Amino acid sequence: MNRVLAMRAGAALSLLALWEAASASGWFYRGVLPSISQIGPAVVRVVGDPAFARHLGTTAMEVGLALLIGGALGVVVGILVGGGRWLRAAYEPALHYLAPTPKIIFLPILIVLFGVGPSSKTAMGALSCFFPVALSVASGMALIDPVHLRVARSFGLSRWRTIRSVVLPSLVGPLVTGLRLGLGVAVIGCLLSEIKLSNRGLGFLAIQFYGQFRIPEMYAVLLVVFALAGLGNALFGRIRLPGSTIRT
Amino acid sequence: MITRRTLGATIGALALPALLSRPVGAAEPVKVAVGQRGAWDTSVCAFGDRMGFFQEAGLSLELLFTDGGTETQQAVVSGGTDVGVGAGMLAILGAAVRNAPVRILSSNFRGASDTFWYARAGAGIASFKDAGGKTFAYSTNGSSSNLVSLKLLQLAGVTTAKGVPTGNPVATLTQVMSGQIDIGYSLPPIGFPDMEAGRLVFVGSGREVAEFRDQTVRCLICTPAFVEQRRDTATRFLQAYHKTIGAMYTEDRVLDWFAEGANATHAQAVRARSEFYPQSAMALGPPGNLALSQQQAVELKRIPRTLTAEQETRLVQVPWTPTA
Amino acid sequence: MRGPALLVATVVALGLVWEAAAFFGWVDGAIVPPPGEVLAGIPALFTDEDLVHRFATTFLEAFAAAGLAASVGVPLGLWLHASRAAGVAFTPWVAAIAAAPLVLLYPLFLVIVGRNMGTIILMGGVAGLPAMALKTKEGFDGVPPVLLRVARSFGFGRWEMFRKVLLPSAVPTLANGLRLALVFALINVVGVEFLVNFGGLGQLIADLSDRYELALMYGAVLFVILVSTVFFVLTERLERWIRPA
Repeated sequence: MNRVLAMRAGAALSLLALWEAASASGWFYRGVLPSISQIGPAVVRVVGDPAFARHLGTTAMEVGLALLIGGALGVVVGILVGGGRWLRAAYEPALHYLAPTPKIIFLPILIVLFGVGPSSKTAMGALSCFFPVALSVASGMALIDPVHLRVARSFGLSRWRTIRSVVLPSLVGPLVTGLRLGLGVAVIGCLLSEIKLSNRGLGFLAIQFYGQFRIPEMYAVLLVVFALAGLGNALFGRIRLPGSTIRT
Repeated sequence: MITRRTLGATIGALALPALLSRPVGAAEPVKVAVGQRGAWDTSVCAFGDRMGFFQEAGLSLELLFTDGGTETQQAVVSGGTDVGVGAGMLAILGAAVRNAPVRILSSNFRGASDTFWYARAGAGIASFKDAGGKTFAYSTNGSSSNLVSLKLLQLAGVTTAKGVPTGNPVATLTQVMSGQIDIGYSLPPIGFPDMEAGRLVFVGSGREVAEFRDQTVRCLICTPAFVEQRRDTATRFLQAYHKTIGAMYTEDRVLDWFAEGANATHAQAVRARSEFYPQSAMALGPPGNLALSQQQAVELKRIPRTLTAEQETRLVQVPWTPTA
Repeated sequence: MRGPALLVATVVALGLVWEAAAFFGWVDGAIVPPPGEVLAGIPALFTDEDLVHRFATTFLEAFAAAGLAASVGVPLGLWLHASRAAGVAFTPWVAAIAAAPLVLLYPLFLVIVGRNMGTIILMGGVAGLPAMALKTKEGFDGVPPVLLRVARSFGFGRWEMFRKVLLPSAVPTLANGLRLALVFALINVVGVEFLVNFGGLGQLIADLSDRYELALMYGAVLFVILVSTVFFVLTERLERWIRPA
């Protein structure tokens, strides 16, 4: 355990030293790589500002709802697509093909549908995280132990009961994996939409600082975003699958 | 039309307690998309709101900020906001020629006096005459900075300079300071501190191009519904806007607000207002020299042909013009 | 053949519904152009917008980015697998990078690397790196211990063990990782091209959007989908080719 801690500390310190060196070297325009001595106080200033909580709350709500909605839709589509052999052969590749399109180009359509407020940002986040979840769940469907399904059938369970008692529990693992991947793209989707058109949120805050050439403050906001994304990811990682000792 | 109300309302109801904090009253709500926040000419709504002019006119403004470029226009075209501030003329023409739902409420800014070009000190570039073989910046293809820089080069007799679209002034500044671009463009006050400290030198400005002086480069735009069904509101909006412009050139506190929002000193704010934003450029009214704009748009292949007479009449609404 | 046929039929059906919606005015055609208009605009993409060159640019950038992700990710994953302490210490960090919106740092990358393909490839590579590293670790971790014991009892040396036991067992997961890396790389390559207004298809989409050429823009989006289709098919073929070995 000590070794792990030592390795982490070592890596963290090396990275910080590398940053400071790059910042001080003068190779890069000093404005773009501010010293840690500037970023640190900026973090305190930014987080301490009373308006910050409101921006944080807005973005957190957008991302949370995006994961919920995109996740739910992803599960439904994943189950449908992954369920039948022909359905999977037809539609799973389609999900793979569509996944890499940059969803930000659809923002105007989402604004038409959901307005200019946080709803369109949530929609963008949901659209982004839908794909990793759907793909993960669809491939997870293929891995459901057929023995379990046969047992369910021999017990005469209805289709809905089968889904509830056999399919869904087996899908928790793939769902969590999908949500972990989806978290990143949901955050990106929400933040980029805020950058494009908004008046609140962390993405909005970051681009305001950028436009005012307050680069340390911009980094401060991004650091908060990264920290929260890492926290979210860590939380997902702690989810224990029902009836197993394996951590996802 | 797909009604966005039902979908929006459902998500909105789930989404945000924050939404409820919007002020409720007898004032009529107007949603405004603003590009390039912090710039003098796009901050009129913010200043006017602070001075109470829009409230006096019975309007409650909600400002939303875009990343500049054509996103302001997209916000209006998609019906997300009623009004857009600082929408580029060429982009508007591109939308209008395709019959997109956008209308011009008024000219927003005429001429190019707000844009200036600079270079790193010691790079041997003192004016556009030294631009031969160098790279120069403008924001995006078809922007006014694009057109003005080409014109400035033409006036200086330089044909070997290479133009690069670099995005917003901040991104441009960092690229110039890193040596990736020779001549950068900017809008006040970005770049002022470095020029004052001697790290950058002034190379040229849009003010030097006489033939663009009356040409409207940015407009106040709105949805068709705003100007057709809420014409009285649109008129009151323009009147409050006009009043604000007047106050911006007489009241000192506006300079403080500008300095605060743009992260500049008071002296820099004064310089921005006096040298780069003449009051005449901000005057409301029908877009100036629309014919030239259309011609440029066709030459730059932004639009396939000029607007038909019908399209032009439908586009240029301008429900109110100051008489003074 | 039934699978792809069903997909094509679905796409055509959706296209007809959309066309009808635009025709009857349920949807404003100026905001979302009907499929007919989009398809009709595709020839113009080739003749006026240099589509082939742009397609190739984006394809190569994504390919290079995936290559970058693999060349750094595979050794990293191997290290996380081989060293227990490193694995415990840094695997969560690598997973966290995958969740972090690194694409927001594009102004920083722009200045450090420059306004060129390098920035785009680097950002795409960084995006695909965590997936490749994590899947590599997962692949080698997942080799059944019994196989290792049997190989050792046969007197396999370290290198032989790697080549004949570890690698073949890990290949499917590695291929999965490569596929994921390609997807993330492509998303970020096109995304950064779009944001920075430089490069291939992403820049084309941004430019067309700026010029309000919506039908052409959606046509360009179709070609982005084509790039990912090609990648997908390629990785499937690659996996099938490695597997029998």
